[in-house]
Amino acid sequence: MNIIETKKLTKYYGNSPGIIDLDLSVEQGEIFGFIGPNGAGKSTTIRTLLGLIRPTGGSATIFGKDVVKFSPEINEEVGYLPSEVFYYDDMRAIDLLKYSGSFYKKDQKVIAKRINDLAAYLDLDLKKKIDDLSYGNKKKVGIIQGLLHQPKLIILDEPTGGLDPLMQQRFFALLKEENKKGATILFSSHILSEVQKLCDRVAIIKDGKIIKVERIDSLIENTNKRFKLETAVKVDKSRFTGLTGISDLVITDNSISFLYRGKINDVTKIIASLNLTNMLVEEPDLEEIFLHYYATD
Amino acid sequence: MNIFLRELRAYRKSVLIWALSLSLLSVIFLMLFPAFTKDTLASQKVIEHFPLAIRQALDISLQYFFTIYGFFAYLLTFVGLAGAVQAMNIGVGIISKEVSGKTADFLLTKPVSRAAVITSKLLAAFGLILITNIVFSLVSLVAANIISTTKFDNNIFALTSATMFLIQIFFLALGILTSVIIPKIKSAISVSLPVVFSFFIIGTLGVILGNDIVKYVSPFKFFDTNYIISHKSYDPKYLMIEAVFIVVAIAISYIVYTKKDVKAAV
Repeated sequence: MNIIETKKLTKYYGNSPGIIDLDLSVEQGEIFGFIGPNGAGKSTTIRTLLGLIRPTGGSATIFGKDVVKFSPEINEEVGYLPSEVFYYDDMRAIDLLKYSGSFYKKDQKVIAKRINDLAAYLDLDLKKKIDDLSYGNKKKVGIIQGLLHQPKLIILDEPTGGLDPLMQQRFFALLKEENKKGATILFSSHILSEVQKLCDRVAIIKDGKIIKVERIDSLIENTNKRFKLETAVKVDKSRFTGLTGISDLVITDNSISFLYRGKINDVTKIIASLNLTNMLVEEPDLEEIFLHYYATD
Repeated sequence: MNIFLRELRAYRKSVLIWALSLSLLSVIFLMLFPAFTKDTLASQKVIEHFPLAIRQALDISLQYFFTIYGFFAYLLTFVGLAGAVQAMNIGVGIISKEVSGKTADFLLTKPVSRAAVITSKLLAAFGLILITNIVFSLVSLVAANIISTTKFDNNIFALTSATMFLIQIFFLALGILTSVIIPKIKSAISVSLPVVFSFFIIGTLGVILGNDIVKYVSPFKFFDTNYIISHKSYDPKYLMIEAVFIVVAIAISYIVYTKKDVKAAV
């Protein structure tokens, strides 16, 4: 069964389109990446799924239930973490989390224990007032708030901002653990590397439309990587002939730069035979991925 | 239930300050009553010399001003104004603060329907107004009984004092309606002050100019002291107007709020 399914989901804000005819399905147990530049429609899709905004056309279901009609019922099993977290400033972290927990039908004792466990894991002082917490620490409150009821579906909208690398790592470990226990995850981001770390499949969205849904490994394999090499002596162009998937090759006295798309092994064999002084391989950024899909589609 | 309790907690300080200030004002004012009535005839003469327009603007009725009801009703003109501000503040704030504080996303992604959210908030707001009025009315009643030199009917006094409650629930409903219709309200007071004062000024001007239509528009003029004293009840016509207004305002609020898009917090 698909956990999330949208059919021709459309949302207009007045005359300007948010998303248009969006078809999306997220299967049970997968970590699904949702990637696109700012303003592409990621948040619009998520907010529609959560029942915060109403679609102007099409339909969407979560757990097979319509998101407009059954929003409260669906939200019982959904955990949501937005990119910007805002809570009641006058509350302490623990009060907010208990308030948050009180909405769910689950045993409040189990939830209280879960709050403490998560806070210990994320290194958060629950006694502090929300107002006194740093941006990163507020984010931790957000993470706990989204996970304290052990939801079957976790929806994350660009969640990593404000978390230091260590916390980001713990957060991802936490998500993977939840996923192992059976939670489905929808992870929206505009940073490819974090989607790559976590997701099984990914949908690329631009201008309110889904351009491509693909497995993350084939996506990475099929995108350009920028290679920048520095060599002790000038290398002849002929060393790269026969390598398919190479483009934009520029060779100067002691530097080589090119884009490569294809099997990494093939290119590293050639590079290994060179006399290198330095090497840099850059992830393709989103624009490059989009360019790739514009070129092929 | 959790939203209801959360709102009561969030407003507990504010409601305490309002209830105590209004009560204190009432006690201090009632303490002046013996001095005013010591030489009623002389006081009456002084007030008779006020031009009619000023007497009307100040809501002084010669017939009852020197009874405890009339004296207290005079205070209520201004306490009612303050109470209206309190009520409208709560009405506007209790829903719009989730938008201005950007907590709407948090609240509305919980397993709770919009209708349940507005019901809880409505009940909490009503509770806060009720608490304010119970404190104010009890303190005033006790103070009047201690201070008044003449015997008086506690029921009429209580009816007079409860006009504040009736004014407040009118503005509470108006506040709720305003908050669901205006997309983004940064501060409740910036909306409630001008609205409440407009109604008050319209009512006062209407009386001075002898325009009877305003009696149906401004809740400050709904519950006339003279009527309460002579009938020992409120004018049913105005109770009806108020009830209809509240029902319509709340109904619209439910409809709008349950269908409204919640804008992303930026």
